[in-house]
Amino acid sequence: MAIDFGYSVSQPRAVDLDRNDLSLAREIVREMPEFSACIACGGCTATCTAGNLTSFNFRLVQTLVRRGEYAGAYAEMNKCMLCGKCRLVCPRGINTRGVVRLIKRKLGDY
Amino acid sequence: MKKVVVVGGGVAGMQTALSLKERGVEPVIVERTGALGGKLRNFHLLFPSMTPAAEVLKSFTDQVASSGIEVRLNEEFSDFSTDAPIVIASGFNVFDARLKEEYGYGIYDNVYTTVDVERMFNEGKVGLKDGSVPRRIAFVHCVGSRDEKVDQRHCSKVCCITGVKQAMELASLWPDAEIFNFYMDIRMFGPGYEELYQQAQQEAGINFIRGRVSEASPTIDGRIQIKAEDTLIGRPMKMTVDMLVLIVGMRGTDGGKFYRPRDLFGGSVLSDRPNVFYAGAATAPKTVGESIAEGVMAAEKVVQYLNDGN
Amino acid sequence: MEIISFYSGFVIPFLVGVSVLFAVVVYKFGRWFVRLPVEDRRLVRKNFFSRATVRALGECFMECLLHRKIWKVNPTLGYMHTAFAFGWFLLIVVGWVETVAYLGWRFVPLQGHIFFKFFTGGEHHWLVMDILLWYVLSGLVLAVYKRFRSRTLGMRRTTKLTFGDRVALSSLWFIFPLRLLAENFSGVMAFWWGYSIALGIFFVAMPFSRYMHIFTEVPLIFLRRWGIRSGERESSFDHFQLEACSRCGICIDPCQLQRDAGFRDVQSAYFIRDRRYNRLTRRVADNCLMCGRCEGRCPVGLQLDTLRLNSRHTLSGTPADGRFEYARKITNNPVISNECEKSTGQTVIASENEAICSNSQSSSSHPLGGRGETKNSQLSTPRIGFFGGCMTLLSPRILQSMEQIFAASGDDVWWADRNGGICCGRPLKLSGDIDAARDMMQMNTQLFEAQGITTLVTSCPICLRVFREDYRLEGIEVLHHSEYIARLIAEGCLSLRDSDEKMTYHDPCELGRGCGIYDAPRQVLASVGELVEPAETRSEALCCGSSLANFVVDDASQVAMARAVGAAFEATGAARVVTACPLCKKAIGRTSSLPTLDLAEVVAEKLNND
Repeated sequence: MAIDFGYSVSQPRAVDLDRNDLSLAREIVREMPEFSACIACGGCTATCTAGNLTSFNFRLVQTLVRRGEYAGAYAEMNKCMLCGKCRLVCPRGINTRGVVRLIKRKLGDY
Repeated sequence: MKKVVVVGGGVAGMQTALSLKERGVEPVIVERTGALGGKLRNFHLLFPSMTPAAEVLKSFTDQVASSGIEVRLNEEFSDFSTDAPIVIASGFNVFDARLKEEYGYGIYDNVYTTVDVERMFNEGKVGLKDGSVPRRIAFVHCVGSRDEKVDQRHCSKVCCITGVKQAMELASLWPDAEIFNFYMDIRMFGPGYEELYQQAQQEAGINFIRGRVSEASPTIDGRIQIKAEDTLIGRPMKMTVDMLVLIVGMRGTDGGKFYRPRDLFGGSVLSDRPNVFYAGAATAPKTVGESIAEGVMAAEKVVQYLNDGN
Repeated sequence: MEIISFYSGFVIPFLVGVSVLFAVVVYKFGRWFVRLPVEDRRLVRKNFFSRATVRALGECFMECLLHRKIWKVNPTLGYMHTAFAFGWFLLIVVGWVETVAYLGWRFVPLQGHIFFKFFTGGEHHWLVMDILLWYVLSGLVLAVYKRFRSRTLGMRRTTKLTFGDRVALSSLWFIFPLRLLAENFSGVMAFWWGYSIALGIFFVAMPFSRYMHIFTEVPLIFLRRWGIRSGERESSFDHFQLEACSRCGICIDPCQLQRDAGFRDVQSAYFIRDRRYNRLTRRVADNCLMCGRCEGRCPVGLQLDTLRLNSRHTLSGTPADGRFEYARKITNNPVISNECEKSTGQTVIASENEAICSNSQSSSSHPLGGRGETKNSQLSTPRIGFFGGCMTLLSPRILQSMEQIFAASGDDVWWADRNGGICCGRPLKLSGDIDAARDMMQMNTQLFEAQGITTLVTSCPICLRVFREDYRLEGIEVLHHSEYIARLIAEGCLSLRDSDEKMTYHDPCELGRGCGIYDAPRQVLASVGELVEPAETRSEALCCGSSLANFVVDDASQVAMARAVGAAFEATGAARVVTACPLCKKAIGRTSSLPTLDLAEVVAEKLNND
């Protein structure tokens, strides 16, 4: 039986920063600079109401977006209930709900 | 000539006073509590060499006693308008873990801070509230450090190594217990620290999980369930433990902030005022050793100031 | 009496202006009215011949002419608006009477009324008309003064103008001085030309400027009296609200985003302006706390939050697409639900207390009603569901306190979400995703109904509001925990130690302005300590700054707003701040030097445990 390693590992190829187009990621960061302040502690994902029921991992998806891996990000962000727990626990005070909406807006159904 | 006022009788303050005395300047230590020693009094063993804190403390208090330095206990120093030299060696306050309500300190049984653990070791009573031995223990790194939500942006520096040290101590006390350290980054900056970390992994069998604990909740059988993301796997995880240890950070003593030294190089013990000096953790989180070293430096700068001015 | 022709070249600008104004207003109103949703038009037909119409007439007089509500907020500003509106109105009416008195009943073209003094050569003149003109001019002086020195009129900030506004405003400022000159120097044609041109320009610019509010407020008042409201989706009725906004700017000062966080272009007046001129951005639509402070003061009574909400739906709502189906695993699974109950360690202990309180069938005369009183009367024992909501789950002290309070009450409690639940749906609704939010609400409804609860208690005002406004919970009474505790106290089911400790209370937006609950938490507080109120309280209370309705502000702005709120509490001299919302508690507690607690915590602390 195949093991479900979550979201990213199922991608067969390496994250290729020579090929990935980071312009959208830069645009997102420009609009919301705190987006890049993440220290990847995972607190958001740990407390996530949605993430405890389905495969949604906010930390991972937003990291992938920052690396130019946009595919699927919109669909993933669509699982967010916007309940705001992640923002309460974020040690960097990132406006996580704003990030969710920004990524959805910028990427659309990428 | 007026005596040099050393505010705080911890290691930094005592070392400053001793160094001043050696250089022929008369210091007076003003200590808020009823005894010399500062935070060192609460500690059990010092990392990374596991030297008993009491041993280090005793050598300092003995020297202070034998050198005839004036010590004023139970006195709060507040007269900063004086033109006598003042060395602020007020150290730090331990972060109040109750401010991170989601970790349940002061709410659930068997949630401790690293300071509690040191105290329990000193009292010889380490264990759960009902006296039993925990089967599973979790340490939470960075409680009150690197956290905007509690106005503690800084890294408290010594907590990583403290967490590793205490995990190892508990592991040797209860060899059957499973111990998990939840960290965001492990910062092993000092001599022998990385070695201790490796020893903890390899010999003591401590499990290190990269993820910040988001919350703790009680279970039906009186244990504690914690939530984190195992960020290296990329999935949320839950875990039930018998004992939760919060590795608390340092809070500054200048209205919750650390004093700001003139610069971080030659002027690290100088303030904006010529007669006010700093030593130890008053300006930033520091180890015991670093605080002692700064005591010497502060004394040196005080003497320079007195020689230049008078 | 000679026949007056009522014609002179200078009246042309005026006549052109009036015609354009008339055409545009008729076109606009007609279009909006025709496009009203069927149910709105049905309301119009149903209520047209009713007392609502009479009341609307009265309201038009009080608000459109006298501006009663502006007087209440700011008397100087009220005087200014009344001078313009009522003064001008009287000039027209009395002017007409004057014409009739002079010429008797006969047809006089419009310009004949307006330029009456010109056509009669000023030989007939009523003193009252001069007094009225000076009355209007006194308002004008204030208006000019306000434009340059807003603070002196008690407004820290006044609205920025659009191009249409500028044209209309400039011409408006000239109308009355020119009229004064023309009427006093009747022979100088330049003054009459100037007066007519100023009027013409004003009338042409009017429907494209904020002065459109003068006309729009009238149909708005009638439609509103007939029961029409804006909703979660944009509708044609919104136009009546948008164009009835005079951009008076009263909404700007109370906005904490403006006063504490430095946002100067997102307030309701600007939001409505942007939406009206089709240049609304998501940044503006999303940057609002929806605290309701401005809505409460709007002199036109616009549904500012609702309009903001339906704009969000239009700008950024995404289809539901069944994207929350994954959550059914929790709402469809009674095993998980029962587990939640077990895990709290809450078993029903038959105590004496319970015998008295839990089974008492609401013989209470307490205004909030008895606890046992529900529509579902076939259930003999009330069963309470407690929904903490996402935020309460991060505040274990509230959970622990509620556990103690429930234990003391003896009520049978089912913990709905303690070991994981789904969001109430309000945050999604606030983002404009109303269809997806509906899905979530439906799932929670299913969960609650399956548990057979008679009362649903929540400690989160955000959840409370959506439960009350959007859920259809048949036979389940929804209570905020402050109401629940107030009832327990009123019925004598909680034994509390009173104290003289001074506590201040923060009204959460969703609880106070949102659900109208101000008294229950205060009653509870009064029974455990002494309540001291901050300067701005109840419907005027400040927002903690962390509202889930805002998707834009960063941490620093939230902290800045929380600090301002905290400072107001420190000024009360209270020892502790008490609130009744987990989010407010976190937000205020972050910066306040005073301990900040939830209402449940102070109650649990004062429980007599015997």
